[in-house]
Parts: sequence; structure tokens; C-alpha cells
Amino acid sequence: MSSTPETPAATSWITVFLSTATTVFLAELGDKTQLAALLLSAQSGRPVVVFVGASLALICSSLVGVLLGRWLSTVMPPHQLERAAGILMVALGLWLGRQAVLHLAPLHLLNT
Amino acid sequence: MPFALLASTFATVFLAELGDKTQLAIVSISGTSNRPGAVFAGSAFALVLASLVGAAAGGSLSSVIPTDGLQLAASAGFLIIGTRLILRSGADGGEAPAATTEAAGEDAETPAP
Repeated sequence: MSSTPETPAATSWITVFLSTATTVFLAELGDKTQLAALLLSAQSGRPVVVFVGASLALICSSLVGVLLGRWLSTVMPPHQLERAAGILMVALGLWLGRQAVLHLAPLHLLNT
Repeated sequence: MPFALLASTFATVFLAELGDKTQLAIVSISGTSNRPGAVFAGSAFALVLASLVGAAAGGSLSSVIPTDGLQLAASAGFLIIGTRLILRSGADGGEAPAATTEAAGEDAETPAP
């Protein structure tokens, strides 16, 4: 942690970077819909063009997400935004976990 | 014409990504962190890396890496971050009870009878 005293509760840049990158990477890697779309367009035989286009789109979409979050933080009180974001993250976590568990152990196995 | 392919890939992926769970997570992290630059760099890096891994592995991704296990890990991460945010908002609300009254209209949860 640097010695800049402007915000005492500030987490270091690299911590925020790593935790964001890990969460997003894990969540995105299991997402088969997007990979399927990417693969479909990759059949054009120009994988580099597809990769560049997809990367630009992903960078833009994360920029939109970051800007939306910053905007929300200016219009909502911090504790209220934290609670809403927390509930959203828990809901996403439960939904992701359900997807993975259902895929690992399909319903017909659970119903036996 | 590569430019048409570039544009169509961009449009497809960008539209597929809007409102996706990943973007909701980015909105949550960005809104509650005071380092938007780090959040943007981290999420953009992770998204590009994930699509690179996906493209390199091709259709055999699920046989190369355990995607379901990764999704379980991601869901655990989401749960941890979400619980920490809720706990922190509870702590903030306790420190500044005057600020919570103005938000009473938005509160759906009422104390149990």
C-alpha cells in the first residue's frame, strides 16, 4: 500500500486489478454461449481478424460496465450501492453455481 | 473483405456481452471500488485472455479444462465478493444511521414481525 493518505480505505491498484481479472476470467471462461458464437465466426478462416474484433468488443463492453458503475456511484449513496451490488453478486454466484452443479450432476442422476 | 468480418465479429460479441453476467459483475465491482482504472484494466485483460484461450482451444475447450469446475470457482468468488459488499454496507449503515432513513423508500426488506 502506498503512502498516499487521500483515501484510507483504498485498496492497492494491483489488488483490484488481480481480483477483477480473476473473477471475470473464471466467469467468462465457463461461458459456452459466447465461445460458441466466437467459434462460429472463426470458421471464416480468418482467426486473427475474428480475435481482434472480439477483443475490441470485449474491451468496449467492459468499458461500458466500468462507466455504468462509476455513474451509479455518483447517483446512489455508497452503502445502498454496496448492498445492491452485493445482492447482485450473490444472486449471480448462486445462479452460476447452480448452472455448474446441474451440468456436473444432471437432474436424472439426482432423481434416482 | 476483412473489415466486414471485423465489424460483424465486433457487433456480435459486443451485443452478446451487453447485460451479460460478466458485465453486471464489472458494474458491481466498478461502482463499489475507488479504482476504476484497475477494474477496467483487469476486466479487459481477463476478457481478452479468456477469448484467446477459447479460440486457441477451439471446440475441445471443455475436454482441455474443467469448465464446470471453473464456473463453480467463479460462483464461489461472486458469493464471497457479494457477501463482503453486503456486510460492508451493513457496517456503513450502522455507522451512519441518519443516511439510511432517506433510503427507506427503496428498502424492500422490512424487519421480521
